[in-house]
Order: sequence, then structure tokens, then C-alpha cells
Amino acid sequence: MKTKTIDFLLFNIGAIFVGLAAAGIMLTFLGENPIRVYSLLFTSVVRDRFTVANIFVRATPLIFTALAFAVTFKAKLFNIGAQGQFFIGCLVAVGFSLYLEGFLVPGVGLVIVFFLTLLGGGIYGGLIGYAKARFNANEFLVSMMSTYVALGVSDYLLRTLLMEARGEYPQTDTIQFYRLPIFVGGTRLHIGFIIAVVIAILVWVMMYKTTLGYRIRTVGQNREAAHLAGINTKRIFVIVFFISGALASLAGFTEVNGASYMLMRGFNSTIGAMGIGIAVLANANPISIIFVAVLFGTLIEGGMILMQVAGIPHSIIPLMQGFVMVSVLISYYVRTRVATLREKHRLQKAVGI
Amino acid sequence: MIEFFTILCANAFRMGTPLVLGAVGEVYSERTGVMMTAIEGVFLAGAFGGLVGAFLTQSLAMGFLIAILSGVIVASAHGWICVYLKQNQVVTGTAIAILVAGLCAFLFRVIFGVPLMPITVTPLRELPIPLLSSIPFFGRVLFSQNLLTYFMFVFVPLAYFVLYRTSLGLVIRSAGENPEAVEVAGIKVNRVRFFTVLFAGGVSGLAGAFYSIGFLGMYTDTIIGGRGWIAFAICFLGNWNPKGAFIGGIVFGFAEAFAISMQVGAGSAIFPNELLIALPYILTIVLAITRKAYNVPAKLGVSYGIEK
Repeated sequence: MKTKTIDFLLFNIGAIFVGLAAAGIMLTFLGENPIRVYSLLFTSVVRDRFTVANIFVRATPLIFTALAFAVTFKAKLFNIGAQGQFFIGCLVAVGFSLYLEGFLVPGVGLVIVFFLTLLGGGIYGGLIGYAKARFNANEFLVSMMSTYVALGVSDYLLRTLLMEARGEYPQTDTIQFYRLPIFVGGTRLHIGFIIAVVIAILVWVMMYKTTLGYRIRTVGQNREAAHLAGINTKRIFVIVFFISGALASLAGFTEVNGASYMLMRGFNSTIGAMGIGIAVLANANPISIIFVAVLFGTLIEGGMILMQVAGIPHSIIPLMQGFVMVSVLISYYVRTRVATLREKHRLQKAVGI
Repeated sequence: MIEFFTILCANAFRMGTPLVLGAVGEVYSERTGVMMTAIEGVFLAGAFGGLVGAFLTQSLAMGFLIAILSGVIVASAHGWICVYLKQNQVVTGTAIAILVAGLCAFLFRVIFGVPLMPITVTPLRELPIPLLSSIPFFGRVLFSQNLLTYFMFVFVPLAYFVLYRTSLGLVIRSAGENPEAVEVAGIKVNRVRFFTVLFAGGVSGLAGAFYSIGFLGMYTDTIIGGRGWIAFAICFLGNWNPKGAFIGGIVFGFAEAFAISMQVGAGSAIFPNELLIALPYILTIVLAITRKAYNVPAKLGVSYGIEK
């Protein structure tokens, strides 16, 4: 392996440990022994196949939201609104699944819902790109605010149009027909995870093996140069945000049709932010994103179990994630510093100082 | 009707206070070239620190002091990573916002356990200024506010003056426009940036405390709910100028006051509640699309450093 790759792995793994250790120190404030808690966390997530499978169930939507951030990040744009596009995806998925209930064969229905979701989230995201391209609006602000708008739309629909037939809680009825098949018996692991992995690979191919990906990356590296080279940067803005929104909305599809079979208020309200963290940890590489998402899935599943069996507060999950993210950022600095020093050393040797 | 409008305007200034403070802090920070994207986290830390301080010492003044301190601490993490370690500012801010959300929820549990009774303090009272507050309309709107709002009235002109009329302000603005020139003048750019971020953090921490101990008298994990980002947006929409930040903050305060009065009044029969809640966010999108940004600090988001 190249030194660069080894560095990348070494520093990232080191940073994850440092981050977890920092969260561990916080645990001592609760009078807990961090070593005991962590060993409980990592033994309990592998205690049975159901729990192990759950890690991947939890990683599935995170892969999508991380990809959503990564795609725009490569074009040096910021889509902070994956959370909102996820909400839109959930609404489209649950809305059409319930609307088409019973009309179609499950397989066909799922494919249709898949594409409608993709389209819905894509358009919602694409509008941000359009605002950027046409009006030069700051995409960071617009995408950030679009999340709150989507949340409002979602809350509104959940107590009106999409509200359950019983009319008691702000949640939808349960989807009976269009459920993603479970591929590991006795668990909740649905094929959404496979879809996520395949799409991550497709995104990688798109980014590094197609003209479109090349254009996106060129826009990211130097917007002026890309423009001068004849790339329609404005169109790239719209396309990138369409792809990003579509990816984020697919998280809604897999969550609704694969995991919960319904939508309720306050559904998965932090996966957008987590997606950003995962994308950063993975250096916006679609393949690395899969692995980091599984790591975050482990932390979430482990955190949930800790809450149940050891009474550790739920906030340990964002705490671990936050410390890991910050320590990874610090490690990036250290890594470039080490690489620079090594290069300097090599050059000095070469000229014989 | 006039009564309704008077209350609305008074509430606009009250609800606008933290937004103005946060936005002015952000203006300072961004003028040096550093986007304080951790502002949502800074607000939350301020709200949390404020409540903890006020509850434990039974003094609102101590609460505000600890809120400022909490803001500075969070901002120092952001400043260190962005300025000295030269990491991407948007990414760093998001990471810190997640970390702070986790920390506040966790520390709340550490300090208070699982409280049987909600942890509350008496929030900041209104303090009508004698004489001035009896002026019709304006008295109610401007001079029957709480201390934090009066502080904002003094703070904004002061911030404007320092930024545009003093050599300190010149250094701050130059750090974001032409950092090399600042360095040549013998002033360390990164030090200017770092300390300005700390200042912005302190002001934003104070702003965050408005929500916990200046208004509601309690703390929840969702107390800020995107207001930090609104302040961040106001800095952009106000064209990186304390004056613009003030106007923007009051406009958004008005939107929020309008939403509140509609929610408690008969308005929710006409408009869905969710629309009213989303009003400030929709307003931001509309303004972001329609307003032309000028005055953008040339080196906004660009780390400064000489490769050694």
C-alpha cells in the first residue's frame, strides 16, 4: 500500500480511539467505569445475530445522507440540508406506498416508490442548486433552512393528509404491502443495505470514472478554470444538488419501506448531521463512507443497548460521535503536518543537506 | 388593533435581541475571514451554561457570565481547529455543533440527574425605564424591555463604531480582506482571527442565554432549534455590517413575534401552526435568493498560513 493510504487508515483509526477515549472520560462524571462501559458496548453489539444485523440496518440511511453531503462537497458546495431532503423522501415514500397499497405487485410497487422518492428528493435538492445557479443564493444557507421548511411540511402532513385512520397520533398508518424484503432470516436486515452499498459504488464510479464526475470534481477544485474550460458550472450546481437530494431522500425510502413501515413525528431527526460527520471521516470517498457508516451504526446500536441495560443516557451517542469527528479533524492536521515533514526530510536527503 | 401592534413590535425587539447579538458576533468573526459555523452550538452552550449558572448560584448575573464563558469555550475549540489547524470551517462547525448538543444533554444529566421537577429559574424581568417608557407607542416598544435588549441597543452602535472608526476595527477587517498586509504590519493574522472568534463566541453565548434564562426560565435540548443558524444567516443577509445585522435581527424578531402572537391568538385557525413556525426559515430562503450579497470578506473561509 502507498504511504498515503497507510497514513490515512492509521490516523483515522487513531483519531477514532482518541475520540472514544474522550467520551469515555466524560462517562466518569456519571460515576461509570469507561472501560467497563465500552467493553459492554462492544460485546453487546455482537451478542446475537439480531443485534449484529441491526448495526447494518442503522448504517443504511447514514450511507445515503453521507453520500449526499460527499457529492456536493466534491464540487465544493455545501448541502447541509440532507435532513430536509430525507424528510421529503420519507413523505413521498410513505405517501405513495399507502396510496398504491394493494394496487400493484409488491416488487413493482417498490420500484415505483423508489423512483418517485428519488425524484421528489432530487427536485427538492435540485431547487437549492437552481437558487444557487440562477440567483447566486448561498447554498449553505438555503439548504440549511430548507430542512426546517421540510420539517414543517412533514409535521403538517402528518396531522392532516397522512394522519393514521384512527386519527389519534400524528403518524401514518402502517405499510402492509410494499416492504423491502429481509434477506437475513430472524433479523430486521432488509435489502435496503444492499441497495445502499450498490449505490455507494455507483456514486464512486460516477465520481471517478465518468465525464460528469470529472466535471463535478473540476468545479470543486477550481470554479473559474472549470468555467473557462467550457464546463457549464451552473448546470453542474443543479445536477449536483439533484443527485445529492435524491441520495438523501433514498435514506427516507429505506427507512420507511425497510425499517419502520410508517412515519411519525420526529422521525430520525439527526441522520443529516451524522451524514456530514461520516462523509468528513471518510474524506468524502463513497467506498470509505460504507465502512464509517457501519462504525456509526455500531455506536448508535451500542448506545441504545447501553441505555437499556446500563442506564447510560442516550446523549452518549452524539457525545461519542462529536468527539470522534472533532478528533478526526485534528488528526487531518497532524497527518498533513507529518506528510509535509516527511517530504521535507526526503528532499533534504536528496540534495544532501 | 393598535394594542396588538404595539405588543407585536415590543416582542419583535425582545425576540430579535439574541439574533442581533449573535449576528453582530458573527459579523466580527466573518470580517476576519472565519465563518463561525459552530454558532448553533455556541447558542446552545450559552443557553445551557446560563441555566446551570443561574440555577446553581441563584443569580441571573452569574448565569449570564457563565453563558458568556461557555460560548467562549466552544468558540475557542472552533477557532483553534479553523484558524490554527486550518480545517474546513463548515465541516468543523457541524462537528462542533453535534459535539455540543451531546455534551449539553449529557452534562445536564450529570448535573441534575433525572429531575423529578423541571429545573427552572425566574427569567429576566422587564425593566421599564422611568419617563421614557411612558412615551406613547415607542415607550412600550423600546423602553419597556429587559436588560439584555438595552444592552443590545448600546452594543450595536458600539460594535459599528469599533469596526469602522478605530484601528482595531481596521485590523479586524483587514484580516479578512488582505491578511498579508496585516502580517506585514507586524500583526499576527491568526491571532487576530482567533481572538475575534472568541469575542464572537462570548457574544453568541450571551445571546443563547437569552432563550434559557432571559425568556423561558428553563432549558431543553431543542431550545435553540435553528436560531443560531438564523443569526448566521442574518450576518450574510445584513452584508457583514453591524447595522445590517441589527435590521435583519429585528425583522426576524418580528417574524418570530408574529408567529407567537398568531399561535396564541386566533391565527392558527387561518394558518397552520407549522407554517408559522417555519416563517423565519422561509424568510431566510426568500432573502437569500433576492438579496444581492456585496461586502463579502475577500478571504471568507480561507485559512491563512505560510507553509513552513
